[in-house]
Amino acid sequence: MRAAKSAYPLTWRIMDALEAFAAFVWPARFGRAIPWLMLAPALLLVGLLVLGLWLIGDASLRTLDTSTFLMSETYTLANYRRAFTESLFAVVAWRSLAGSLMVTAATLILAFPYAYVMVRTSSPVIRKLLLIALFLPFFIGQVVRAYGWLIILGNQGMVNEALSLVGIAPIRLLYNYWAVLFGLVQYMLPFAVLMLAPALTAIPEELEAAAGSLGADWLRTFRHVVLPLARPGLVGAGLVVLTLSLTDFAMPAILGGGSQDFIANAIYDQFFRTSDQGLGSTLALLLVATGSLLVGLVFTLFGAGTLAMGRARQ
Amino acid sequence: MTAPLSKTIVLWIFVVAVLVLLSAPTIVILGASFTSGNIITFPPEGFSLKWYEKIATSRDLWDAFLRSLYVSAICTVVAIPVGTLAGIALAKYAIRFEKSVQIYLLLPFTIPLIGSGIGLMLIFGEARLLGQLWPVGLACCVINLPFMIWAVTASASSLDPDLELAAASCGAPPLSTFFHVTLPAVMPGVISGSLLMFILALNEFLVSLLLTDARIVTLPVQIYNSIRSIITPDLAAISVVFIACAALAIVLLDRFVGLEIFLKSK
Repeated sequence: MRAAKSAYPLTWRIMDALEAFAAFVWPARFGRAIPWLMLAPALLLVGLLVLGLWLIGDASLRTLDTSTFLMSETYTLANYRRAFTESLFAVVAWRSLAGSLMVTAATLILAFPYAYVMVRTSSPVIRKLLLIALFLPFFIGQVVRAYGWLIILGNQGMVNEALSLVGIAPIRLLYNYWAVLFGLVQYMLPFAVLMLAPALTAIPEELEAAAGSLGADWLRTFRHVVLPLARPGLVGAGLVVLTLSLTDFAMPAILGGGSQDFIANAIYDQFFRTSDQGLGSTLALLLVATGSLLVGLVFTLFGAGTLAMGRARQ
Repeated sequence: MTAPLSKTIVLWIFVVAVLVLLSAPTIVILGASFTSGNIITFPPEGFSLKWYEKIATSRDLWDAFLRSLYVSAICTVVAIPVGTLAGIALAKYAIRFEKSVQIYLLLPFTIPLIGSGIGLMLIFGEARLLGQLWPVGLACCVINLPFMIWAVTASASSLDPDLELAAASCGAPPLSTFFHVTLPAVMPGVISGSLLMFILALNEFLVSLLLTDARIVTLPVQIYNSIRSIITPDLAAISVVFIACAALAIVLLDRFVGLEIFLKSK
Protein backbone atom coordinates (compact mmCIF):
# COMPACT_ATOMS: atom_id res chain seq x y z
CA MET A 1 0.00 0.00 0.00
CA ARG A 2 1.34 3.45 -0.93
CA ALA A 3 1.41 6.17 1.69
CA ALA A 4 -0.49 9.38 1.12
CA LYS A 5 1.05 11.83 -1.31
CA SER A 6 1.96 14.34 1.38
CA ALA A 7 3.90 11.70 3.31
CA TYR A 8 6.03 10.87 0.31
CA PRO A 9 7.98 14.02 -0.63
CA LEU A 10 9.23 14.88 -4.09
CA THR A 11 12.90 14.31 -3.24
CA TRP A 12 12.11 10.70 -2.37
CA ARG A 13 10.35 10.20 -5.68
CA ILE A 14 13.36 11.61 -7.51
CA MET A 15 15.72 9.32 -5.61
CA ASP A 16 13.44 6.36 -6.37
CA ALA A 17 13.50 7.17 -10.06
CA LEU A 18 17.32 7.55 -9.99
CA GLU A 19 17.72 4.23 -8.16
CA ALA A 20 15.47 2.49 -10.68
CA PHE A 21 17.45 4.07 -13.53
CA ALA A 22 20.77 3.07 -11.96
CA ALA A 23 19.55 -0.49 -11.38
CA PHE A 24 18.40 -0.62 -15.00
CA VAL A 25 21.65 0.58 -16.63
CA TRP A 26 23.91 -1.04 -14.06
CA PRO A 27 22.47 -4.23 -12.54
CA ALA A 28 24.03 -5.44 -9.29
CA ARG A 29 25.78 -8.36 -10.98
CA PHE A 30 28.06 -5.84 -12.74
CA GLY A 31 29.14 -4.76 -9.23
CA ARG A 32 32.74 -5.79 -9.72
CA ALA A 33 33.17 -3.19 -12.44
CA ILE A 34 31.94 -0.31 -10.26
CA PRO A 35 35.41 0.89 -9.18
CA TRP A 36 36.46 1.02 -12.81
CA LEU A 37 33.28 2.91 -13.71
CA MET A 38 34.14 5.45 -11.01
CA LEU A 39 37.71 5.74 -12.24
CA ALA A 40 36.78 5.99 -15.92
CA PRO A 41 36.28 9.79 -16.15
CA ALA A 42 39.64 10.45 -14.48
CA LEU A 43 41.39 7.88 -16.67
CA LEU A 44 39.85 9.49 -19.77
CA LEU A 45 40.85 13.03 -18.74
CA VAL A 46 44.44 12.01 -18.06
CA GLY A 47 44.27 10.13 -21.38
CA LEU A 48 44.27 13.56 -23.04
CA LEU A 49 47.86 13.98 -21.84
CA VAL A 50 48.86 10.61 -23.28
CA LEU A 51 47.23 11.56 -26.59
CA GLY A 52 49.09 14.88 -26.43
CA LEU A 53 52.41 13.07 -25.93
CA TRP A 54 51.57 10.87 -28.91
CA LEU A 55 50.98 13.95 -31.09
CA ILE A 56 54.23 15.50 -29.82
CA GLY A 57 56.05 12.29 -30.71
CA ASP A 58 54.53 12.33 -34.18
CA ALA A 59 55.45 15.98 -34.77
CA SER A 60 58.99 15.44 -33.50
CA LEU A 61 59.66 13.05 -36.38
CA ARG A 62 58.75 15.61 -39.05
CA THR A 63 60.96 18.48 -40.19
CA LEU A 64 59.90 21.96 -41.17
CA ASP A 65 60.19 22.86 -44.84
CA THR A 66 61.36 26.47 -44.62
CA SER A 67 60.18 27.34 -48.15
CA THR A 68 56.54 26.30 -47.67
CA PHE A 69 56.34 26.30 -43.85
CA LEU A 70 54.70 22.89 -43.94
CA MET A 71 55.71 19.84 -41.95
CA SER A 72 57.25 17.00 -43.93
CA GLU A 73 55.10 13.96 -44.74
CA THR A 74 57.83 11.44 -44.08
CA TYR A 75 59.41 10.55 -40.78
CA THR A 76 63.03 11.45 -40.08
CA LEU A 77 65.29 11.71 -37.06
CA ALA A 78 66.77 15.00 -38.24
CA ASN A 79 65.24 16.98 -35.35
CA TYR A 80 66.84 14.70 -32.77
CA ARG A 81 70.20 15.10 -34.51
CA ARG A 82 69.80 18.89 -34.32
CA ALA A 83 68.71 18.81 -30.68
CA PHE A 84 71.81 16.86 -29.70
CA THR A 85 74.37 18.62 -31.86
CA GLU A 86 73.45 22.33 -31.84
CA SER A 87 75.43 24.03 -29.10
CA LEU A 88 72.59 26.44 -28.24
CA PHE A 89 70.48 23.61 -26.85
CA ALA A 90 73.40 22.17 -24.91
CA VAL A 91 73.96 25.58 -23.30
CA VAL A 92 70.28 25.91 -22.40
CA ALA A 93 70.06 22.34 -21.07
CA TRP A 94 73.19 22.78 -18.97
CA ARG A 95 71.97 26.14 -17.64
CA SER A 96 68.62 24.61 -16.61
CA LEU A 97 70.11 21.51 -15.05
CA ALA A 98 72.81 23.30 -13.07
CA GLY A 99 70.30 25.96 -12.06
CA SER A 100 67.67 23.53 -10.87
CA LEU A 101 70.24 21.58 -8.83
CA MET A 102 71.38 24.76 -7.09
CA VAL A 103 67.76 25.82 -6.54
CA THR A 104 66.97 22.41 -5.03
CA ALA A 105 69.87 22.60 -2.60
CA ALA A 106 69.10 26.17 -1.53
CA THR A 107 65.38 25.51 -1.20
CA LEU A 108 65.85 22.41 0.97
CA ILE A 109 68.32 24.20 3.25
CA LEU A 110 65.89 27.10 3.73
CA ALA A 111 62.72 25.00 3.91
CA PHE A 112 63.92 22.43 6.45
CA PRO A 113 64.27 24.74 9.49
CA TYR A 114 60.99 26.47 8.57
CA ALA A 115 59.11 23.16 8.38
CA TYR A 116 60.79 22.01 11.58
CA VAL A 117 59.78 25.09 13.56
CA MET A 118 56.27 24.96 12.09
CA VAL A 119 55.81 21.35 13.17
CA ARG A 120 57.52 21.57 16.57
CA THR A 121 56.38 24.95 17.87
CA SER A 122 54.16 24.70 20.93
CA SER A 123 52.26 27.87 20.02
CA PRO A 124 49.21 27.36 17.78
CA VAL A 125 49.33 31.06 16.84
CA ILE A 126 52.89 30.86 15.49
CA ARG A 127 52.01 27.67 13.61
CA LYS A 128 49.00 29.32 12.02
CA LEU A 129 51.01 32.41 11.06
CA LEU A 130 53.75 30.31 9.47
CA LEU A 131 51.11 28.33 7.54
CA ILE A 132 49.41 31.49 6.28
CA ALA A 133 52.75 33.00 5.22
CA LEU A 134 53.32 29.79 3.28
CA PHE A 135 49.94 29.51 1.57
CA LEU A 136 49.57 33.15 0.59
CA PRO A 137 52.38 33.17 -2.01
CA PHE A 138 51.47 29.58 -3.00
CA PHE A 139 47.99 30.79 -3.98
CA ILE A 140 49.09 34.04 -5.64
CA GLY A 141 50.74 32.58 -8.69
CA GLN A 142 54.10 32.93 -10.36
CA VAL A 143 53.47 35.94 -12.54
CA VAL A 144 52.32 38.19 -9.72
CA ARG A 145 55.20 37.09 -7.50
CA ALA A 146 57.73 37.71 -10.27
CA TYR A 147 56.15 41.14 -10.72
CA GLY A 148 56.77 41.85 -7.05
CA TRP A 149 60.45 41.02 -7.51
CA LEU A 150 60.60 43.34 -10.52
CA ILE A 151 59.46 46.18 -8.26
CA ILE A 152 61.98 45.26 -5.56
CA LEU A 153 65.03 44.48 -7.69
CA GLY A 154 64.51 46.72 -10.74
CA ASN A 155 66.99 49.42 -11.75
CA GLN A 156 64.79 52.01 -10.04
CA GLY A 157 63.52 49.45 -7.60
CA MET A 158 63.47 49.39 -3.84
CA VAL A 159 66.92 47.94 -3.31
CA ASN A 160 68.63 50.33 -5.69
CA GLU A 161 66.76 53.33 -4.26
CA ALA A 162 67.92 52.30 -0.81
CA LEU A 163 71.49 51.91 -2.05
CA SER A 164 71.43 55.36 -3.67
CA LEU A 165 70.44 56.88 -0.31
CA VAL A 166 73.77 55.73 1.08
CA GLY A 167 75.58 56.85 -2.06
CA ILE A 168 76.06 53.57 -3.92
CA ALA A 169 75.51 53.57 -7.67
CA PRO A 170 72.61 51.37 -8.92
CA ILE A 171 73.50 47.72 -9.43
CA ARG A 172 71.90 45.65 -12.16
CA LEU A 173 70.12 43.04 -10.09
CA LEU A 174 67.64 41.76 -12.66
CA TYR A 175 67.88 39.89 -15.94
CA ASN A 176 70.75 37.65 -14.90
CA TYR A 177 71.14 34.03 -13.89
CA TRP A 178 71.09 34.73 -10.15
CA ALA A 179 67.84 36.67 -10.38
CA VAL A 180 66.20 33.65 -12.05
CA LEU A 181 67.54 31.25 -9.41
CA PHE A 182 66.47 33.61 -6.63
CA GLY A 183 62.94 33.81 -8.03
CA LEU A 184 62.81 30.03 -8.42
CA VAL A 185 63.86 29.42 -4.80
CA GLN A 186 61.09 31.72 -3.62
CA TYR A 187 58.60 30.00 -5.91
CA MET A 188 59.62 26.51 -4.68
CA LEU A 189 59.72 27.18 -0.91
CA PRO A 190 56.02 26.47 -0.23
CA PHE A 191 56.16 23.21 -2.18
CA ALA A 192 59.24 22.07 -0.27
CA VAL A 193 57.90 23.00 3.18
CA LEU A 194 54.54 21.32 2.50
CA MET A 195 56.29 18.11 1.43
CA LEU A 196 58.68 18.17 4.40
CA ALA A 197 56.17 18.93 7.14
CA PRO A 198 54.34 15.54 7.20
CA ALA A 199 57.67 13.69 7.28
CA LEU A 200 58.81 15.80 10.26
CA THR A 201 55.48 15.29 12.05
CA ALA A 202 56.09 11.55 11.82
CA ILE A 203 59.31 11.82 13.86
CA PRO A 204 58.49 11.36 17.56
CA GLU A 205 59.72 14.29 19.63
CA GLU A 206 60.84 11.82 22.32
CA LEU A 207 63.59 10.57 20.02
CA GLU A 208 65.21 13.98 20.07
CA ALA A 209 64.82 14.21 23.81
CA ALA A 210 66.42 10.77 24.13
CA ALA A 211 69.38 11.82 22.01
CA GLY A 212 69.70 14.93 24.15
CA SER A 213 69.60 12.99 27.41
CA LEU A 214 72.37 10.74 26.07
CA GLY A 215 74.56 13.81 25.74
CA ALA A 216 74.17 14.78 22.10
CA ASP A 217 73.97 18.53 21.56
CA TRP A 218 71.18 19.76 19.27
CA LEU A 219 73.38 19.94 16.16
CA ARG A 220 74.38 16.29 16.51
CA THR A 221 70.78 15.32 17.24
CA PHE A 222 69.76 17.12 14.08
CA ARG A 223 72.45 15.48 12.01
CA HIS A 224 72.13 11.91 13.34
CA VAL A 225 68.45 11.66 14.31
CA VAL A 226 66.23 14.21 12.60
CA LEU A 227 67.83 14.37 9.15
CA PRO A 228 68.03 10.59 8.57
CA LEU A 229 64.43 10.08 9.74
CA ALA A 230 63.23 12.91 7.53
CA ARG A 231 64.73 11.31 4.44
CA PRO A 232 61.39 10.35 2.77
CA GLY A 233 60.27 13.97 3.05
CA LEU A 234 63.61 15.30 1.81
CA VAL A 235 63.51 12.95 -1.18
CA GLY A 236 59.93 13.87 -2.06
CA ALA A 237 60.53 17.60 -1.64
CA GLY A 238 63.83 17.48 -3.52
CA LEU A 239 62.26 15.62 -6.43
CA VAL A 240 59.34 18.01 -6.72
CA VAL A 241 61.57 21.08 -6.51
CA LEU A 242 64.10 19.66 -8.98
CA THR A 243 61.57 18.74 -11.67
CA LEU A 244 59.47 21.88 -11.25
CA SER A 245 62.44 24.24 -11.44
CA LEU A 246 64.07 22.29 -14.28
CA THR A 247 60.93 22.76 -16.39
CA ASP A 248 59.87 26.24 -15.26
CA PHE A 249 58.95 28.88 -17.78
CA ALA A 250 57.76 32.02 -16.03
CA MET A 251 60.74 32.86 -13.80
CA PRO A 252 63.39 32.63 -16.56
CA ALA A 253 61.07 34.54 -18.89
CA ILE A 254 60.26 37.39 -16.49
CA LEU A 255 63.31 37.66 -14.23
CA GLY A 256 65.78 36.51 -16.90
CA GLY A 257 64.51 38.99 -19.46
CA GLY A 258 65.06 36.66 -22.42
CA SER A 259 68.79 36.23 -21.87
CA GLN A 260 68.55 33.37 -19.36
CA ASP A 261 66.29 30.88 -21.14
CA PHE A 262 65.59 27.52 -19.56
CA ILE A 263 64.47 24.47 -21.56
CA ALA A 264 60.77 25.39 -21.42
CA ASN A 265 61.54 28.83 -22.89
CA ALA A 266 63.53 27.26 -25.72
CA ILE A 267 60.57 24.97 -26.50
CA TYR A 268 58.15 27.90 -26.42
CA ASP A 269 60.39 29.87 -28.78
CA GLN A 270 60.52 26.98 -31.25
CA PHE A 271 56.71 26.92 -31.39
CA PHE A 272 55.91 30.64 -31.31
CA ARG A 273 59.00 32.46 -32.64
CA THR A 274 60.51 30.20 -35.29
CA SER A 275 57.29 28.18 -35.75
CA ASP A 276 59.32 24.97 -35.99
CA GLN A 277 56.83 22.52 -34.47
CA GLY A 278 59.07 19.56 -35.23
CA LEU A 279 62.11 20.77 -33.34
CA GLY A 280 59.95 22.18 -30.54
CA SER A 281 58.22 18.82 -30.14
CA THR A 282 61.57 17.04 -30.11
CA LEU A 283 62.83 19.24 -27.29
CA ALA A 284 59.55 18.83 -25.39
CA LEU A 285 59.70 15.04 -25.68
CA LEU A 286 63.32 14.98 -24.53
CA LEU A 287 62.36 17.10 -21.51
CA VAL A 288 59.44 14.77 -20.68
CA ALA A 289 61.80 11.80 -20.97
CA THR A 290 64.38 13.42 -18.68
CA GLY A 291 61.71 14.29 -16.13
CA SER A 292 60.18 10.80 -16.17
CA LEU A 293 63.63 9.25 -15.88
CA LEU A 294 64.36 11.36 -12.79
CA VAL A 295 61.00 10.50 -11.21
CA GLY A 296 61.31 6.82 -12.08
CA LEU A 297 64.83 6.65 -10.69
CA VAL A 298 63.86 8.23 -7.39
CA PHE A 299 60.69 6.12 -7.10
CA THR A 300 62.56 2.86 -7.63
CA LEU A 301 65.28 3.92 -5.21
CA PHE A 302 63.09 5.34 -2.45
CA GLY A 303 59.47 4.36 -3.25
CA ALA A 304 56.63 6.75 -4.04
CA GLY A 305 56.74 7.92 -0.40
CA THR A 306 54.62 10.97 0.24
CA LEU A 307 53.40 11.06 -3.38
CA ALA A 308 51.29 7.88 -3.26
CA MET A 309 47.51 8.11 -3.54
CA GLY A 310 44.70 5.99 -2.19
CA ARG A 311 44.97 2.82 -0.14
CA ALA A 312 48.70 2.43 -0.67
CA ARG A 313 49.45 5.46 1.46
CA GLN A 314 47.59 4.31 4.54
CA MET B 1 62.16 20.60 28.19
CA THR B 2 63.37 23.89 26.78
CA ALA B 3 65.50 24.03 23.67
CA PRO B 4 69.01 25.46 24.01
CA LEU B 5 69.24 29.15 23.14
CA SER B 6 71.63 28.60 20.22
CA LYS B 7 69.18 26.19 18.58
CA THR B 8 66.31 28.65 18.92
CA ILE B 9 68.40 31.49 17.50
CA VAL B 10 69.73 29.54 14.50
CA LEU B 11 66.31 28.12 13.63
CA TRP B 12 64.60 31.48 13.89
CA ILE B 13 67.22 33.17 11.71
CA PHE B 14 66.23 30.73 8.97
CA VAL B 15 62.52 31.14 9.66
CA VAL B 16 62.68 34.92 9.54
CA ALA B 17 64.74 34.83 6.33
CA VAL B 18 62.16 32.55 4.69
CA LEU B 19 59.29 34.69 5.98
CA VAL B 20 60.86 37.79 4.41
CA LEU B 21 61.51 35.92 1.18
CA LEU B 22 57.95 34.60 1.01
CA SER B 23 56.18 37.82 1.94
CA ALA B 24 58.30 40.53 0.31
CA PRO B 25 56.62 40.48 -3.14
CA THR B 26 53.12 40.51 -1.63
CA ILE B 27 53.84 43.39 0.73
CA VAL B 28 55.61 45.42 -1.94
CA ILE B 29 52.75 44.98 -4.41
CA LEU B 30 50.23 46.04 -1.78
CA GLY B 31 52.31 49.14 -1.06
CA ALA B 32 52.90 50.00 -4.71
CA SER B 33 49.21 49.77 -5.57
CA PHE B 34 48.42 52.74 -3.31
CA THR B 35 51.05 55.10 -4.72
CA SER B 36 49.99 58.45 -6.10
CA GLY B 37 52.93 58.69 -8.49
CA ASN B 38 52.94 57.55 -12.10
CA ILE B 39 55.86 55.21 -11.73
CA ILE B 40 56.62 52.86 -8.90
CA THR B 41 59.03 54.45 -6.45
CA PHE B 42 60.04 53.71 -2.92
CA PRO B 43 59.01 55.03 -0.57
CA PRO B 44 55.65 55.59 -2.35
CA GLU B 45 54.94 59.20 -3.27
CA GLY B 46 51.83 59.41 -1.17
CA PHE B 47 48.57 57.63 -0.78
CA SER B 48 45.92 57.45 -3.47
CA LEU B 49 43.38 55.06 -4.86
CA LYS B 50 43.74 56.33 -8.41
CA TRP B 51 45.19 53.07 -9.74
CA TYR B 52 42.21 51.19 -8.38
CA GLU B 53 39.96 53.66 -10.17
CA LYS B 54 41.96 53.05 -13.31
CA ILE B 55 41.63 49.27 -13.21
CA ALA B 56 37.95 49.55 -12.28
CA THR B 57 37.34 51.35 -15.55
CA SER B 58 39.73 49.28 -17.67
CA ARG B 59 37.68 46.94 -19.85
CA ASP B 60 40.70 44.84 -20.86
CA LEU B 61 41.65 43.94 -17.31
CA TRP B 62 38.08 43.25 -16.21
CA ASP B 63 37.40 41.08 -19.24
CA ALA B 64 40.60 39.15 -18.58
CA PHE B 65 39.61 38.71 -14.95
CA LEU B 66 36.14 37.46 -15.87
CA ARG B 67 37.69 35.03 -18.35
CA SER B 68 39.97 33.74 -15.59
CA LEU B 69 36.97 33.23 -13.31
CA TYR B 70 35.16 31.36 -16.11
CA VAL B 71 38.15 29.11 -16.72
CA SER B 72 38.46 28.35 -12.99
CA ALA B 73 34.73 27.60 -12.77
CA ILE B 74 34.90 25.12 -15.67
CA CYS B 75 37.97 23.50 -14.12
CA THR B 76 36.31 23.10 -10.72
CA VAL B 77 32.96 21.91 -12.09
CA VAL B 78 34.70 19.16 -14.06
CA ALA B 79 37.14 18.26 -11.28
CA ILE B 80 34.54 17.78 -8.52
CA PRO B 81 32.70 14.71 -9.93
CA VAL B 82 35.73 13.27 -11.73
CA GLY B 83 38.14 13.60 -8.81
CA THR B 84 35.62 12.62 -6.13
CA LEU B 85 34.60 9.39 -7.88
CA ALA B 86 38.20 8.45 -8.64
CA GLY B 87 39.33 9.31 -5.12
CA ILE B 88 36.58 7.21 -3.49
CA ALA B 89 37.27 4.32 -5.86
CA LEU B 90 40.99 4.39 -5.01
CA ALA B 91 40.38 4.63 -1.27
CA LYS B 92 37.56 2.09 -0.99
CA TYR B 93 38.20 -0.74 -3.39
CA ALA B 94 41.07 -3.13 -3.96
CA ILE B 95 41.55 -2.69 -7.68
CA ARG B 96 43.57 -4.86 -9.99
CA PHE B 97 46.59 -3.04 -11.41
CA GLU B 98 46.19 -0.51 -8.57
CA LYS B 99 49.86 0.46 -8.74
CA SER B 100 49.70 1.12 -12.50
CA VAL B 101 46.49 3.12 -12.12
CA GLN B 102 48.19 5.28 -9.47
CA ILE B 103 51.23 5.93 -11.63
CA TYR B 104 48.96 6.73 -14.57
CA LEU B 105 46.86 9.16 -12.53
CA LEU B 106 50.05 10.92 -11.39
CA LEU B 107 51.01 11.64 -15.01
CA PRO B 108 49.76 15.26 -14.78
CA PHE B 109 52.47 15.83 -12.15
CA THR B 110 55.26 13.83 -13.74
CA ILE B 111 54.86 15.28 -17.24
CA PRO B 112 56.37 18.78 -17.18
CA LEU B 113 53.80 21.54 -17.62
CA ILE B 114 55.34 22.69 -20.88
CA GLY B 115 54.95 19.13 -22.25
CA SER B 116 51.33 18.83 -21.11
CA GLY B 117 50.56 22.29 -22.43
CA ILE B 118 52.09 21.69 -25.85
CA GLY B 119 50.36 18.29 -26.11
CA LEU B 120 46.96 19.78 -25.26
CA MET B 121 47.63 22.63 -27.67
CA LEU B 122 48.24 20.12 -30.47
CA ILE B 123 45.08 18.16 -29.55
CA PHE B 124 42.85 21.23 -29.37
CA GLY B 125 44.47 22.52 -32.57
CA GLU B 126 43.59 19.33 -34.44
CA ALA B 127 40.06 19.44 -33.03
CA ARG B 128 39.73 23.13 -34.04
CA LEU B 129 38.99 24.12 -30.44
CA LEU B 130 41.72 26.74 -30.01
CA GLY B 131 40.33 30.22 -29.54
CA GLN B 132 37.63 29.06 -27.14
CA LEU B 133 37.79 29.32 -23.38
CA TRP B 134 36.31 26.06 -22.09
CA PRO B 135 39.22 23.94 -23.36
CA VAL B 136 41.51 26.10 -21.21
CA GLY B 137 39.37 25.21 -18.18
CA LEU B 138 39.48 21.53 -19.12
CA ALA B 139 43.27 21.73 -19.52
CA CYS B 140 43.66 23.33 -16.06
CA CYS B 141 41.53 20.51 -14.66
CA VAL B 142 43.68 17.79 -16.25
CA ILE B 143 47.02 19.20 -15.08
CA ASN B 144 45.86 19.69 -11.46
CA LEU B 145 43.61 16.63 -11.13
CA PRO B 146 45.94 14.74 -8.72
CA PHE B 147 45.39 17.52 -6.14
CA MET B 148 41.64 16.80 -6.20
CA ILE B 149 42.14 13.02 -5.97
CA TRP B 150 44.64 13.46 -3.13
CA ALA B 151 42.28 15.64 -1.15
CA VAL B 152 39.45 13.11 -1.49
CA THR B 153 41.51 10.00 -0.71
CA ALA B 154 42.97 11.76 2.33
CA SER B 155 39.53 12.31 3.84
CA ALA B 156 38.21 8.92 2.70
CA SER B 157 40.22 7.34 5.51
CA SER B 158 37.54 8.63 7.85
CA LEU B 159 35.01 6.59 5.87
CA ASP B 160 34.23 3.41 7.79
CA PRO B 161 33.16 0.67 5.32
CA ASP B 162 30.88 -0.72 8.03
CA LEU B 163 28.81 2.46 7.81
CA GLU B 164 27.95 1.74 4.19
CA LEU B 165 27.12 -1.87 5.05
CA ALA B 166 24.92 -0.64 7.90
CA ALA B 167 23.08 1.68 5.51
CA ALA B 168 22.59 -1.15 3.05
CA SER B 169 21.34 -3.54 5.71
CA CYS B 170 18.81 -0.91 6.78
CA GLY B 171 17.46 -1.15 3.26
CA ALA B 172 19.12 1.84 1.59
CA PRO B 173 19.65 1.25 -2.13
CA PRO B 174 23.17 1.90 -3.53
CA LEU B 175 22.65 5.49 -4.72
CA SER B 176 21.07 6.56 -1.42
CA THR B 177 23.96 5.00 0.43
CA PHE B 178 26.38 6.93 -1.76
CA PHE B 179 24.67 10.29 -1.33
CA HIS B 180 23.78 10.01 2.37
CA VAL B 181 26.73 8.04 3.77
CA THR B 182 29.76 7.95 1.44
CA LEU B 183 29.65 11.49 0.09
CA PRO B 184 29.17 13.32 3.43
CA ALA B 185 32.14 11.37 4.84
CA VAL B 186 34.52 12.68 2.15
CA MET B 187 32.99 16.18 2.02
CA PRO B 188 35.96 17.95 3.71
CA GLY B 189 38.22 16.50 1.03
CA VAL B 190 35.86 17.53 -1.76
CA ILE B 191 35.70 21.08 -0.41
CA SER B 192 39.45 21.53 0.09
CA GLY B 193 40.14 19.85 -3.26
CA SER B 194 37.78 22.09 -5.19
CA LEU B 195 39.18 25.19 -3.47
CA LEU B 196 42.67 24.15 -4.54
CA MET B 197 41.51 23.44 -8.10
CA PHE B 198 39.78 26.82 -8.34
CA ILE B 199 42.66 28.91 -7.02
CA LEU B 200 45.30 27.03 -9.03
CA ALA B 201 43.26 27.46 -12.23
CA LEU B 202 42.81 31.15 -11.44
CA ASN B 203 46.60 31.52 -11.29
CA GLU B 204 47.46 29.13 -14.10
CA PHE B 205 49.87 30.87 -16.42
CA LEU B 206 51.86 28.64 -18.78
CA VAL B 207 48.99 26.48 -20.03
CA SER B 208 46.82 29.58 -20.51
CA LEU B 209 49.66 31.23 -22.40
CA LEU B 210 49.86 28.25 -24.77
CA LEU B 211 46.11 27.78 -25.28
CA THR B 212 44.85 31.36 -25.55
CA ASP B 213 45.29 33.92 -28.31
CA ALA B 214 45.29 37.70 -28.04
CA ARG B 215 41.47 37.88 -27.96
CA ILE B 216 40.90 35.55 -25.02
CA VAL B 217 43.87 36.01 -22.68
CA THR B 218 43.33 35.22 -19.02
CA LEU B 219 44.45 37.64 -16.33
CA PRO B 220 47.87 36.09 -15.54
CA VAL B 221 48.72 36.14 -19.25
CA GLN B 222 47.49 39.73 -19.51
CA ILE B 223 49.74 40.75 -16.63
CA TYR B 224 52.68 38.88 -18.18
CA ASN B 225 52.17 40.68 -21.51
CA SER B 226 51.96 44.06 -19.75
CA ILE B 227 55.10 43.38 -17.70
CA ARG B 228 57.02 42.90 -20.91
CA SER B 229 56.09 46.33 -22.22
CA ILE B 230 56.08 48.74 -19.27
CA ILE B 231 55.69 48.51 -15.51
CA THR B 232 53.03 50.85 -14.16
CA PRO B 233 51.23 50.80 -10.81
CA ASP B 234 47.92 49.67 -12.33
CA LEU B 235 49.49 46.22 -12.60
CA ALA B 236 50.12 46.33 -8.86
CA ALA B 237 46.47 47.22 -8.29
CA ILE B 238 45.24 44.33 -10.40
CA SER B 239 47.71 42.00 -8.67
CA VAL B 240 46.02 42.93 -5.42
CA VAL B 241 42.92 41.21 -6.81
CA PHE B 242 44.93 37.97 -6.88
CA ILE B 243 46.21 38.59 -3.38
CA ALA B 244 42.63 39.12 -2.18
CA CYS B 245 41.48 35.89 -3.89
CA ALA B 246 44.37 34.00 -2.31
CA ALA B 247 43.56 35.41 1.13
CA LEU B 248 39.90 34.46 0.70
CA ALA B 249 40.86 30.93 -0.33
CA ILE B 250 43.07 30.56 2.75
CA VAL B 251 40.29 31.77 5.06
CA LEU B 252 37.83 29.31 3.50
CA LEU B 253 40.32 26.45 3.59
CA ASP B 254 41.08 27.16 7.24
CA ARG B 255 37.38 27.42 8.10
CA PHE B 256 36.37 24.17 6.37
CA VAL B 257 39.26 21.79 6.97
CA GLY B 258 41.89 23.73 8.94
CA LEU B 259 45.31 24.53 7.51
CA GLU B 260 46.92 22.20 10.06
CA ILE B 261 45.68 19.22 8.01
CA PHE B 262 48.71 19.74 5.75
CA LEU B 263 51.03 18.99 8.66
CA LYS B 264 49.52 15.59 9.36
CA SER B 265 51.78 12.65 8.66
CA LYS B 266 50.25 10.04 6.44
